[in-house]
Amino acid sequence: MNNKKPITYPKNPTWCPGCGNYGIWGAIKQAAIKSQIPTEKIVITYDVGCSGNMADYNNFYGFHALHGRAIPPATGIKLANHDLTPIVIIGDGGCYGEGGTHFINEMRGNHDITVLVHNNHRYSLTTGQMSPTTKKGTKTKSTPQGSIEEAFNPMAIAVSNHATFIAREFAGDIPSLANRIAQAMTHPGFAVIDILQPCVVFNPEQSYDWYRQNMVKLEDEKHDSTNKEAAWKQAMRTDKLPIGLFYQDKNSVPYHSQVAEIKDKPLVDKPIESVDISKLVKNFQ
Amino acid sequence: MTTGLLFSKTCARHGLSIFDYMEYPSLIRGGHNTYQVHASTDPVTSQKKSLDVLVALNQNALNFHVDELTDKSLILYDKEDDNIDINKFNLSGKTFDLPMVRLAKESGGSRVMANNVALGASIFFLKLDLKILDQVIADIFASKGDKIIDANHKAALAGYNFAKQKSKSHLTISKGLLKNQLTLTGNEAISLGAIAGGLQFYVAYPMTPSSSILHYLAAVSSKSGFVVKHAEDEVGAVNMALGASFAGTRTMIGTSGGGFAYMTEALGLAGVAELPLVIVEVMRPGPALGMPTWTAQGDLQFVLTASQDEFPRFVLAPGDGQEAFDLTFKALELAEKYQTLVILISDKYLSESRHTIELKKYTFKNKRFGFTNSPKADATNFFPRYLPTNTGISQRSIPGQKGGIHIANSYEHDQYGVGIEEAEVRVEQMDKRNKKFESMKSEIPNQLYTTQNNSKLTFISFGSTKGPIASARKQLTQQGISTNMLHLSWLWPFPTKQVESILTSSPKTLIIEGNSYGQLANLITQETGIKLNNHLRRYDGRPFYSEDITDHVNKIL
Repeated sequence: MNNKKPITYPKNPTWCPGCGNYGIWGAIKQAAIKSQIPTEKIVITYDVGCSGNMADYNNFYGFHALHGRAIPPATGIKLANHDLTPIVIIGDGGCYGEGGTHFINEMRGNHDITVLVHNNHRYSLTTGQMSPTTKKGTKTKSTPQGSIEEAFNPMAIAVSNHATFIAREFAGDIPSLANRIAQAMTHPGFAVIDILQPCVVFNPEQSYDWYRQNMVKLEDEKHDSTNKEAAWKQAMRTDKLPIGLFYQDKNSVPYHSQVAEIKDKPLVDKPIESVDISKLVKNFQ
Repeated sequence: MTTGLLFSKTCARHGLSIFDYMEYPSLIRGGHNTYQVHASTDPVTSQKKSLDVLVALNQNALNFHVDELTDKSLILYDKEDDNIDINKFNLSGKTFDLPMVRLAKESGGSRVMANNVALGASIFFLKLDLKILDQVIADIFASKGDKIIDANHKAALAGYNFAKQKSKSHLTISKGLLKNQLTLTGNEAISLGAIAGGLQFYVAYPMTPSSSILHYLAAVSSKSGFVVKHAEDEVGAVNMALGASFAGTRTMIGTSGGGFAYMTEALGLAGVAELPLVIVEVMRPGPALGMPTWTAQGDLQFVLTASQDEFPRFVLAPGDGQEAFDLTFKALELAEKYQTLVILISDKYLSESRHTIELKKYTFKNKRFGFTNSPKADATNFFPRYLPTNTGISQRSIPGQKGGIHIANSYEHDQYGVGIEEAEVRVEQMDKRNKKFESMKSEIPNQLYTTQNNSKLTFISFGSTKGPIASARKQLTQQGISTNMLHLSWLWPFPTKQVESILTSSPKTLIIEGNSYGQLANLITQETGIKLNNHLRRYDGRPFYSEDITDHVNKIL
């Protein structure tokens, strides 16, 4: 069989009807406009999965990474040219599982990137196995007798591990999500938004309605997003899923601002047409 | 280790060519450590088996090196410090009891200063200039302050004076004619070559024996204005590097075999997304963790094809300090020019040994390749970054440029980088990438081929065996045996024509390599159809010694 070439650019999404990715997709495009950052300065790195397939549906500079590895290229892009605004599109499997070490360590570095985790609590592109955020005891294709692992708590990890912008939002509330993404994009430091994303096919129990019944808005709780201990308490809650800004460090200094070599200008603009090593060779004479 | 460096530099500043070689176990402290310096007015390219002077800091040093002594050797030892009964050891050569520890303490220093006492005494025995050693000490310890410099000077002087009072000098090393030469390790040469080649971003995770590249580059990055990042792991390192390369910087990463294994998935990404990247792979014995502080050439086969599926790459293998500099410089250029992966393989022996090299200039010009200043998106609003061309090389836009939007995609993609699975687009893009390989072949320079009249044998080798073979050829010449040498430092694309023509006209060959399968021999057969019969292989972690090569040649001729 020989498929026909796509007729339109960007391509049309192949997500299932009702997929939470549509809402997140719309919110990202709105946020890009709201942030007032020129389109060509926004670079999106995409992980592998349903969310990462968005690479072909957008018209931004893009980097479709290997599975679990969408965070390191974003960090590399920022270090190479800190005039750019990198956004990471990644799933719960890629971010908290396959690429967990990058999430944990690049968070500590406070690299100035925005990580959007499409958290649907399943591996959906591979047809519905358990993911790091799947609730213990859940029966999936890979855990027919119920999963044994406890679920990963991304908010608690982020609060305890020096992320400087930590939020959770809902894919079904596009205006709030768009505002939060725009806010994260302009935050100088590592921003993570855990986005609750319904997967109507492989996780029908956690439907749009289920989320609406189980979420609580942090602003309704008068949560102080500058207070880390309050953020920790919210992150450890089990009664409800808190939505909104958990924590923001208003004095955040991103990694690239602490690298002396790129204080004056972005690394990519450092001229290399003529390199003089006469000072360096002195040590070897 | 610093003591060895001091001695190497002192020799180099006498105008001598040096080669130094270290052996140490994978321990933080302790174990048996050795540091050999070979210096001569003629170019030296390897360590030696027989020693002119042995400085034994303890009994072990006498036990372990007994076979390396001749009746011309001088052995310095410290009788009172390690209760040494020198007659117990059946040593060839002359012995000299040097109370290193006592003299160190008497000169106001601590026990470690015994090293400097031995240095000072060695300077006397070899009729070298103590003033030059003093200057080297002052330069090396400049950042540590006058007190440390003074303590080092005093200990060296104590050793020198003690030897002078008790003995005559042992042998005379004449001053050499070399000037402006640099004394550096292979890893330092790689680092300097990269800087000269316009390195902007280096990212790595520490792994012996590649870590000293990370250390050196991190130490000088602020002087030179490039960025060095110690990443969370090798997977993070290579993927950060590819992000930075996508954003337009000249980027290099470094590791050893194990770390390289972690990186292999991303090699395919460099290939398919046509992102320039230089990887330095400093080999040590494997498999798995192998022997961290020892040497090997066992990863050749692995680096030639490591990746999913196929894409064009360069594999370069410097053979000495000069080539380490030159080829790293070249590697950065090739990666950018052909928008692909360049793997530079070294090994512990080349990377951690010190060499003397000479650079004809200190200012280097770098041409930039493939960037477009004004990318224009077409009706799709995308820029055709992967437009098929005659050479397979397309113009690059970088993020931040208006009109240049495209995707660097780990999936197969069309000319905009948009993911596709259509058969004809897949073939078009594969063919485009493969076309680059044809142009890449035109870059291969003639490989080193040196001949002698009435040669009885042609040596074949790659990488760090270059030095020991060159030394062996000198010894063989003295024995009246003429040889040729074909040494490969460009391994992929393979220099097929030249190798084929040399091998078909060489009646007898000897291929020397540091692995057990004969990976270079297999590569040569794969590319030329020629089978090689005589081989000398070593895979015990130790480098080749010229003496062993000479003996082997005598056996097979």
